[in-house]
Amino acid sequence: MTSESTLFSNRWLPILLVAPFMLLIVLFFYVPIFQAFYWSFFLEQPFGGGSMFVGLDNFARVLSDREFWQAGWRTIIFMVTASSLAVLIPLILAVAADRKVRLSLPARNVLVWPKGVAGASIGVVFAFVFNPFVGILAPLNKAFPGIWAPGIDGTDAFITLIAAHVWGGIPFNFVILLAGLQSIPRTMHQAAAMDGAGPWRRIFDVQLPLIMPQLFLTLVLEFTESVTSAFALIDTITHGGPGGATTLLVYKIYKDGFSGYDLSGASTQTAILMIFVILLTAAQFVFLGRRINYER
Amino acid sequence: MNAIDTAIRAAAASITVKGLTKAYDPQTVVIPPMDVELKAGEFTVVLGPSGCGKSTLLQMIAGLERVSGGKILIGAREVQDLEPKHRGCAMVFQNYALYPHMSVFENMAYSLKVAGMAKAERAERVAAVAKMLGLADYLHRKPGQLSGGQRQRVAIGRAIVREPAVLLFDEPLSNLDAQLRHDMRVELADLHRRIGATTVFVTHDQVEAMTLADRIMILNKGRIEQFDTPKAIYHHPASVFVAKFIGAPPMNILPVTGDGSALRLADGQVVANAPLTGAYQLGIRPEDIVVDGKADGHAVKAALRFREDLGSHSVLAADLGGSIVRVATPFGADIADRLELLLNFPTSRLHLFDVATGRAIPGAFGAQ
Repeated sequence: MTSESTLFSNRWLPILLVAPFMLLIVLFFYVPIFQAFYWSFFLEQPFGGGSMFVGLDNFARVLSDREFWQAGWRTIIFMVTASSLAVLIPLILAVAADRKVRLSLPARNVLVWPKGVAGASIGVVFAFVFNPFVGILAPLNKAFPGIWAPGIDGTDAFITLIAAHVWGGIPFNFVILLAGLQSIPRTMHQAAAMDGAGPWRRIFDVQLPLIMPQLFLTLVLEFTESVTSAFALIDTITHGGPGGATTLLVYKIYKDGFSGYDLSGASTQTAILMIFVILLTAAQFVFLGRRINYER
Repeated sequence: MNAIDTAIRAAAASITVKGLTKAYDPQTVVIPPMDVELKAGEFTVVLGPSGCGKSTLLQMIAGLERVSGGKILIGAREVQDLEPKHRGCAMVFQNYALYPHMSVFENMAYSLKVAGMAKAERAERVAAVAKMLGLADYLHRKPGQLSGGQRQRVAIGRAIVREPAVLLFDEPLSNLDAQLRHDMRVELADLHRRIGATTVFVTHDQVEAMTLADRIMILNKGRIEQFDTPKAIYHHPASVFVAKFIGAPPMNILPVTGDGSALRLADGQVVANAPLTGAYQLGIRPEDIVVDGKADGHAVKAALRFREDLGSHSVLAADLGGSIVRVATPFGADIADRLELLLNFPTSRLHLFDVATGRAIPGAFGAQ
């Protein structure tokens, strides 16, 4: 084993090198999170001017709030559907690109472009794309008036949100999964072909098991990201509506905190959301992570 | 002999290749039209330098590579347009290509599972093959937990468990270390003796070819230079290419000129009597040259350049009329520090080749 000292003779150099990054992480992630946990035990004045320690009162209040639970359920539904689609669709595209089906080379480039688009921009674009009067579904509305109405139908609004999220998630997941598929040795396909497995069977018996590490990575990232990154989309497409149908927890926290000035409530919900995401990720590692490690 | 052995022996089929070609485009012809027949149950080694088309040939038989023209018959069946799974071939890959996520048992049983065989029967078959290959204790392990030799055996087991008509090997030993390669070679020879499957074995290692093959097919730029038994290939090479490719050190090839009664080296020394005129290439194996001794041929003078002592024998390199001649002598022969050697070329051991085509001219020195 090579010790670190062969790479860095000066023990302060490595610390110095990671310092800028650590500073950013601490300043913009750990401090606010710590702050949120801290505030969740206090009742904060909306316009500043002192706070009062209330113990677990905030938690009791939030957990008995029906709207919190509704937003929580919506978050989970969004998380499960949006992230599975955001992995499944790139997976299908990656398998196709790996097979070198027609047009896969231009498609490979085109598919990566959404990576360069900010969440809010995706939201603005999709608000247009799914607009009931000028969007791609407008002809459907002409034939069956009122069938597509994200402005008044909560389900339609939710679907719009999921579509926008999945679209934004395609590039990264596509690249990771394609890299995984291409790292499978050619002889592995040949061996499976000799064993009598057709192309479809090979996908399930050879390719998918061998890209489990990549699938796992994309799934973990998607699960955590779908919880938080939906904010930009909600804020630009639906504003949480109609009737709160697309108010996910992140958006509710923002509204409670910055529109309703319920800083303590928002902090408490942030803390709960944070714990939920941590538990979820830990569970994924425990139940999936350790079963997919094998030497190639 | 158990059930698996009998079944494979029964399934063994001949391979007939008719006008088979492979070209990626008109300029890059990998294999010009080839005709050859491999007998049922025969162990054929395809030998050649890298890029000679030997792996391409194997992959075309297996169905992993499309043919550009011609036919491949396994038994009486035309297979060149069939999917690999319908050809009845099994293959062992150079890097083994075991499925890393499956246990040894699952690796071996996979083809049977795909074929829809009942679970109990699968287990029985795998158990029989595992026993034969000494893998019975490792069935639950993953390939990553096995040594190189064990992985190799699993790959072989995976191939023979299907009782294939044809067993294909693509340089299966080249990833092993020298000792293991030797052991596996012996095991493979033994396995073939027991199961008698029609085998095509691709390698660039002449030792593997000489020791394993019933017949060796030597490929050069996609053409068959010679297809014969190891003995015939060694003692009667059909061309300069074969002569130089087989043997360690390889056969000496010297330019000679015939003056109507004798063959002379570049420096004028006579090496053999023959009623020939014109330029030829003369071949002689290093171990056939007699140093200082009497033999039935002509003796020529050569300058000793260097010697390598290999324990079992020594190899001398001598300058003979501008060409280097290698001579294998018994170890410790008393030739130390001599600058000049007298080399006797026994006429019965000489080979003559055409300069332009490189093909052997049989019977140039009487019956051989």
